Amino acid sequence: MTRVTKLSVVSLLLIAAWPALAGDSPQEQRHELMEHVGDAAKPIGEMLKQERAFDAGVAMASFQTWAEAAAAFGDLFPAGSETGYDTEAKATIWSDRAGFDAALAGFAEAVDAAIAAQPQDLESLNAAAGPVFKQCKGCHEDYRVEDE
Amino acid sequence: MRRAPAWPLLALLVLAAVFVWLTRPQPLRPSDLPVHKPDPANGELVFHAGGCASCHGERLEGGLELETPYGTFRMPNISPEAATGIGGWSTLEFVNAVVRGVAPDGRHYYPAFPYPSYARMALRDAIDLKAYIDTLEPVVASNGRHDLAFPWNIRRGVGLWKRRYVSPDPVFGTDATDAVVERGRYLVEGVGHCGECHTPRDGFGGLDTSRWLGGGPSPEGEGRVPNITPGAAELGSWSKRDIVYYLQSGFTPDFDTVGGSMVEVQENLSRLPADELAAIAAYLKAISPVAARGD
Repeated sequence: MTRVTKLSVVSLLLIAAWPALAGDSPQEQRHELMEHVGDAAKPIGEMLKQERAFDAGVAMASFQTWAEAAAAFGDLFPAGSETGYDTEAKATIWSDRAGFDAALAGFAEAVDAAIAAQPQDLESLNAAAGPVFKQCKGCHEDYRVEDE
Repeated sequence: MRRAPAWPLLALLVLAAVFVWLTRPQPLRPSDLPVHKPDPANGELVFHAGGCASCHGERLEGGLELETPYGTFRMPNISPEAATGIGGWSTLEFVNAVVRGVAPDGRHYYPAFPYPSYARMALRDAIDLKAYIDTLEPVVASNGRHDLAFPWNIRRGVGLWKRRYVSPDPVFGTDATDAVVERGRYLVEGVGHCGECHTPRDGFGGLDTSRWLGGGPSPEGEGRVPNITPGAAELGSWSKRDIVYYLQSGFTPDFDTVGGSMVEVQENLSRLPADELAAIAAYLKAISPVAARGD
């Protein structure tokens, strides 16, 4: 092998492996996005548990994070990303794509309703966030593998 | 012709008699039942705390199969239907089934039915539970028999197992002066039967109470059930409020959602009043920590 071909083989390998090295695989991207969604839920949960004071601004910021995630999730489950990177995605996502898309739409809808509600106290926060939490739970049950 | 000596046969007969005596079902007698006006509203709480519908089905029609290392258990119909359900049972028959694991025909139930925990139930709660089930819709449904491997298929042998593993005594001797913890003990050790999954089992399928609620392999074969004692790697740091919120909402303190078999358990328990869930949390914080082991 000449030096040039060696070099090009190495660079080809690098390009092929780049997504993994850079954390750009859909599996990693959706995992990270999911972490953001969870992080955004935390302050709301703490308010509902009365471990922290109600703050309308913080709640709305969390809702916005959810809305952005809801818009982005759909594209992060392309064909070919069914396995690898310890993904917890269930095969059902790809075998029942319509059902999965409907579940995502349900999440987006619940988030939009929460934003529109603009909760100003604990009670209305509970009413706004409750349906979103229900979507999280339902979708995890149907489309996430349990790592018990 | 010389007669064969009789003593081996005699010894065998004596052994058989001892086995029959040791394994005899020990049901309650009519006089053991308290005088009690059944309260179906309390029975409904007992029903959800016990998670009856998780195994017996939404309409209590049975049919669900439980795969275990001993074989396949098939859940019976416990709707109040006379022919295929339990509609024809007397209160005494029902209470004996639940707290003694004895069927109306006098045979033992297998402990896939968690009567080793229900043995700690108050008889009044069992009576109320029947009163609640009697208000539900009767469903006609016959279900298959269990399909177990030898020697587990010898039902009478369950009597020996019961002698070793079933007792109405508390597992964790709580300070009975703390009424909240004591109530939690009743819910967790008794009707809630949390230990049936969260405590590892020994070689005979009995709970290893030295690691009470310390987690272990899933009784359904796959995965692990977490340690829920104060010694648990992750759950040990949950506050009482975290536990109550988790049981109400299904969300962990990290805002991950409940998973696996616990989904239905959580949904059942979410129907209990908050003070009952607070009692569960108080008990879980009071018990001895079991060292984390791969949970």
